[in-house]
Amino acid sequence: MKINNVYNEKEQYFTKDLLTEKKRYWDPKRSKVCAALKKNISVFPIEKTSCILYLGCAEGYTVSYLSDIVTEGKIIGVDFSAHSMQRFYLLSQKRKNIIPLLEDATRPEKYKDLLNFKVDVIVQDVSQKKQIEILKKNTDLFLKENGYVMLSLKTTAISQKKPKEIVDEELNNFKKHFKIINFVKLDPFEKKHIFVIGQKK
Amino acid sequence: MNLQKINEKAFIKHTKENIKKQLESPDQRIIYLSQITNKLPQIINELYEQLRIITDRKYPTLDSYISIKEYCNFIFEKKITFTQTKEINEILTNDIGISFSEDEKRTTKEIAKNILDLINTKENILKDIETLFEKNYKNFKEIAKTTIACKMLEIAGSFERLLSMPASTIQLLGSEKSFFLALRKNKKTPKYGVIYNHPLMITLSKKNKARFARTLASKITLAIKADINNVYIADSLQEKLNKKIKNYNRDNNEN
Repeated sequence: MKINNVYNEKEQYFTKDLLTEKKRYWDPKRSKVCAALKKNISVFPIEKTSCILYLGCAEGYTVSYLSDIVTEGKIIGVDFSAHSMQRFYLLSQKRKNIIPLLEDATRPEKYKDLLNFKVDVIVQDVSQKKQIEILKKNTDLFLKENGYVMLSLKTTAISQKKPKEIVDEELNNFKKHFKIINFVKLDPFEKKHIFVIGQKK
Repeated sequence: MNLQKINEKAFIKHTKENIKKQLESPDQRIIYLSQITNKLPQIINELYEQLRIITDRKYPTLDSYISIKEYCNFIFEKKITFTQTKEINEILTNDIGISFSEDEKRTTKEIAKNILDLINTKENILKDIETLFEKNYKNFKEIAKTTIACKMLEIAGSFERLLSMPASTIQLLGSEKSFFLALRKNKKTPKYGVIYNHPLMITLSKKNKARFARTLASKITLAIKADINNVYIADSLQEKLNKKIKNYNRDNNEN
């Protein structure tokens, strides 16, 4: 699988930095997207020109690497915490293809007027109880036809049952709204997480 | 899609305003300040222990009779701010003859000064919290009292989230661990959270505490709702609470 500006050397992932054009190490223990790449996910829908909506961007570790890939596109990072958004705002000043947005991802109707266009991919990394419901709300409003979603599910955030039961339940729930393309466990890098890639029906 | 159509300036303006709004709001300020005051006693106690490593050689049992502030004042300037009882006098006069060297005197004075400064900052922060409550959430402060109101805000995360909670949730704020344990094991759920330490609760019997927790929580929710509309209803709520406690006492006497 070829991804723009991403190199795989001895099973370690590097990106070509947008600012300095040097190669930069991508840590799978800090970024769930890189962990999914390392676990050999079959499809990676992010391309050079895609426009991404990233829910739960925090301080922007993963987003900074995605901005290396999306050289001709845009990334809109949404987060609720003002503290981490301050750092994300400073990152967006350096990297011109990042746009910050401080809002609650569980209430997309609040930023509906501002985000009045459709995006190619939605990446979601919020550890909440109703993750799929949040994703559904956002995809209805902002995702293109046949657009992709990338979801990292934290099973401990949903309930204290056994992870296997929760994964089955949640994937069934996911199937109602999206077409599952692939999913992997992020086991040694993130415990009790799975990463799902789907497509809008 | 034409990416140039995206109005980036509007996004940036929106986020900047929201960051400022969130970080400058009074409830967030109260939370930061109360987090500092929660941590300060631990730092003070640790420093106090280090100070006593040196000073215990001369006054071995003095610390059990006076407070930390009085102890530090005594070490720092030889200022006596406590009442000199017989026991303290004995400790001060029954000197075995150990004397501090110049270095030791300097270090003990410096540590004592640091502790006094920390105690001062803690008192000042508590005053600041009081004034912030007085300005913004007067009803909430009057009914729940400052320390409990602080804890509730810390657990909820913001005043807005506290506003959306029903009385039953507010009653159990702070007892999340035992509550979810009880749900998982199908056992009895807890009756109260942080409101257990409310000054009105102390005098009541165990059965009445559980009853009163319910009333108190409902009154706190009403107070929070009044604060958003800038109405002062704390006096009438307080009256109702006092009446309830009188009723409990009367029932006890009759039985």
